[in-house]
Amino acid sequence: MPRWLAHTIVVILFAALIALAFSRVDYAWNWAGVWEYRQKFLQGFGVTVALSLASLVASTLIGIVAAVLLGSKNVMLEAVGRVYVELIRGTPLLVQLLLGFYVVASAVGLENRYVVGVLVLALFSGAYMAEIFRGGLAAIPQTQRDSARAIGLTPWQSLRLVILPQAVRLVLPAVAGQFVSLIKDSSLLSVIAVSEFTLAAQEVNSFTYSTLESYLPLAAGYLLLTLPLSALSRLLERRYRYEM
Amino acid sequence: MVMRSFVSILCGGLLGCLLFATATTASAAPPLRVGMELSYPPFEMTDPQGRPTGVSVKLAEALGRQLDREVVIENIAFDGLIPALKTGKIDCIISSMTATPERSRSIAFSDPYLKTGLALLVGKESPVKSAADLDAPGRTIAVKKGTTGHQYASTSLKKARLLVLDKESAAVMEVAQGKADAFIYDSLSVYQNQKRHAEATRAVLRPFREETWAVGLRPGDTQLREQINDFLKQFRSEGGFEKLGDEFLPEEKAAFKAQDIPFYF
Repeated sequence: MPRWLAHTIVVILFAALIALAFSRVDYAWNWAGVWEYRQKFLQGFGVTVALSLASLVASTLIGIVAAVLLGSKNVMLEAVGRVYVELIRGTPLLVQLLLGFYVVASAVGLENRYVVGVLVLALFSGAYMAEIFRGGLAAIPQTQRDSARAIGLTPWQSLRLVILPQAVRLVLPAVAGQFVSLIKDSSLLSVIAVSEFTLAAQEVNSFTYSTLESYLPLAAGYLLLTLPLSALSRLLERRYRYEM
Repeated sequence: MVMRSFVSILCGGLLGCLLFATATTASAAPPLRVGMELSYPPFEMTDPQGRPTGVSVKLAEALGRQLDREVVIENIAFDGLIPALKTGKIDCIISSMTATPERSRSIAFSDPYLKTGLALLVGKESPVKSAADLDAPGRTIAVKKGTTGHQYASTSLKKARLLVLDKESAAVMEVAQGKADAFIYDSLSVYQNQKRHAEATRAVLRPFREETWAVGLRPGDTQLREQINDFLKQFRSEGGFEKLGDEFLPEEKAAFKAQDIPFYF
């Protein structure tokens, strides 16, 4: 059976099950009330897209820097990387956001809640990225580096031509998963009153009292963002497979 | 083959959940399930042991005694109360809920049991003196999500920037730190929050919009509604509300009386 057919069948089965579940619940649908607030949904979606993109880029950069720190032979630098990663991974994003915005950002005079939100989100995700990158680099056997040097490649060439192409392929699935988490975690920014997609749905819910009608578009919207990301990751994985 | 067995497990699991859900909804001789958000002291709160207490809890217990039904307090986030009522998870809402026309479109209300109004918690540095001052570009208003203050600001103060927050404490912090000009909430909460942040805030207590609180009910539940209305009438004539006020809000009662601000019950 071709892969696309299997996917289609599973999707249809899922949809049928969900439709069955809804048909059994005695729920008075009120789509008209929610439709009045479509502008709010669109605005929130736009904000979530922008926040996610900005924090994707920033968290990748932070992750690379932190991975370098973690792999550093200088114990001080290694300690900085290690403390950052453990501190961030071990505490809830909610606490980081509240502390980051109401304490740290206030102390340094950074008042824009969108900028603070992106920064905290990027720092949060960057800690996970750092471990993913470090793991990817560590997984390349030493023989690869030795062989690269033996055929006369400079350290930069060996990194660019030998190590990175293999490491990228190894870390891609984990990075894609982390990106998907990051997009969904951006919903927590609502606690510092960033009017993103989830807050929009919650507001519409509190105005219309139509819970499911407010949250189903939310689920669809997040899928719209995360599915292309997964597809892109699989495409890249396939491309890097042949570059070995 | 692996995929097919996976799908069948999945289908079986989901169907099982559905059957379970329908089987548990039917139960006989039900207790009265009262929904409230236990984060609004002294009306809805928990004691140090984690048990629900407060004015609304006492009120619910008195109601249960009169109806001779056991009372179960369900702690539900404020903006989840109406959906919970509509889907039959609870029988009524006693959660300091204002009876508004918007809410009346989806649920029914008992007779009002308490009168209050919207007031302002304003930053010390802010020039704002009244709600009308807030309706201008460059002003920032903090509200708690799903409250009447949220509704009022989003419909009547459109020129200002609106910060929608989950928690009352976060909204107060926005004002105390000067990030927002004002927090719109009921006069009692504004009074209490102002006392807690006396250096950074001031209170505009006189309500710019009067409101009444009532018990929320399903529209079809007319029998319970009549029972609750009878109970409220009797409870008031017996001085029950006065007693609750003396027990939970002695200081506030006196302060509001001194400032001639309409207070409650």
